[in-house]
Amino acid sequence: MTSERLVKPMPDRDTVGYWQALADGQLVTSHCRDCGHWTWPPRPICSNCHGDNLALDAVAGTGEIYSWIVVHRSTTPDMMKYAPYTLALVRLDEQADIYIPGRLISDAPAYRGMRVRVAPERITEHLGDLAWKAEPASG
Amino acid sequence: MSGNGERFPRGQAAIAGIGCTEFSKDSGVSTFALATRAIRAAVADAGLDIGDIDGLCTYGTADSVSPNVLAQALGIKSINYYLDQYLGGSVSMTIIGQAALAVSAGIADCVICYRAINGRSELRKNGAGAGPARAPWDIQFKMPSGYMVPAQEMAMNARAHMLRYGTQHEDLGRIAVLSRTNALDNDRAMMRKPITLDDYMESEWIAEPFHKLDCCLETDGAVAVVIVNAERAKDLPHRPVLIQGAAWGGGISIANNGFADLAESPARPIADRLFKAAGMTPKDIDFAEFYDCFTYPVLSQIEGYGFAEPGGVPDMLKDGHFDRATGTLPFNTHGGLLSEGYIHGMNHVYEAVQQIRGDAAHRQVKKHDVALVTGQLGYVSGYSSATILRGA
Repeated sequence: MTSERLVKPMPDRDTVGYWQALADGQLVTSHCRDCGHWTWPPRPICSNCHGDNLALDAVAGTGEIYSWIVVHRSTTPDMMKYAPYTLALVRLDEQADIYIPGRLISDAPAYRGMRVRVAPERITEHLGDLAWKAEPASG
Repeated sequence: MSGNGERFPRGQAAIAGIGCTEFSKDSGVSTFALATRAIRAAVADAGLDIGDIDGLCTYGTADSVSPNVLAQALGIKSINYYLDQYLGGSVSMTIIGQAALAVSAGIADCVICYRAINGRSELRKNGAGAGPARAPWDIQFKMPSGYMVPAQEMAMNARAHMLRYGTQHEDLGRIAVLSRTNALDNDRAMMRKPITLDDYMESEWIAEPFHKLDCCLETDGAVAVVIVNAERAKDLPHRPVLIQGAAWGGGISIANNGFADLAESPARPIADRLFKAAGMTPKDIDFAEFYDCFTYPVLSQIEGYGFAEPGGVPDMLKDGHFDRATGTLPFNTHGGLLSEGYIHGMNHVYEAVQQIRGDAAHRQVKKHDVALVTGQLGYVSGYSSATILRGA
């Protein structure tokens, strides 16, 4: 899926791989090869052991909704076309202190604990973004 | 021990003068002009001259006139202290604390802290119009997804508080109504039409759980204050307002690893240091001017600065605990950013000084010796800031 955004990422030497991966359909973030800690946003130092033996590794791309809002008034026309839209703050399965925001794609209203999976969205050839898609309810 | 606030130069610097412009939707002039007008008024109020100024401090989002440009305009040949702190409302009280450090250390003798903003007619904080002049690095991980503006970020945290403590929309609404009530007799206030809880509940959604009336105003205007050594302030016209304590630093944001719940108050990490710096406890505070870019941060600060147990604010609101005339902790006595205007928090200092001097007319609170004045909670930047002011 390709979508336009007025506010675009600002790729630099730390983050260009992150945005490229999303454009290519994958969520990655900084992963410490020494202690195993994940850091998001992707940064040049491990927040846990302060080493720099880091790589942008793929995460499973699953998590659960921690909090959410319903945006009725956005300030840019590209997002207004979705309004009202739900913005979910998702706690990643890999690590409980990583919260990643994104628009929620779901037929059902959001709730805490709702299972979601990342839905990368291509903005340009080298820039991607993400939404969260509700997982089918199990059981 | 270092770093716990006890070595703050308690009460050694004082606010000796205050000045402001009109607060409006369109100033018709530049932020440069607004700053000079507020500074001229503040210096006159202090009984000083422009030539006495040797320090200039401001903050913002690179959306206003900077100290070096002002120094040139004011004819200050050698400025002894300056600060142009990026990061917006979360550092609004940082510059007051920094100015106190500079003055008490003798680095500078007369420091102006100012904020000039054309928040409605030029650079709007909601990203409309010309948009932010400069975006922080971490914003790129929110904005593309449509997580654009502080209203949305604060609403996300309000939701977390609702989920944990059962906080209701009406609880936030009572903060909006109280703020508006306090603005009704304030000549500076942009919003002087009464509102009810029903009006609040019926106001349109902006970012649910925030209604329109949860959100502060967009304002053009400026505020400046004059900070000098406390000894010198004794010889100036007004009751000196001592900078009793200040603290700034660590908050709670989604890009900070290592915290458990966004329902926790980002004021918490600086609160103990603040009160140690001042040699006080929350019981010593007569009134508060809480940074209220939205309703929910007020609730979170009442908890975080130690005036209520987490989840305890709604009952206090219903009991009239915060009513200006009769409550035990009046807050936002001028209507706050929600109803007076949004000078990025510096108008809170202006009001606190007027109250401490006893110059607040119909708004005057009964006990007015000690004020807590705060900056924005550190959700967005990861910083919070606050100061305690005391009448000498």
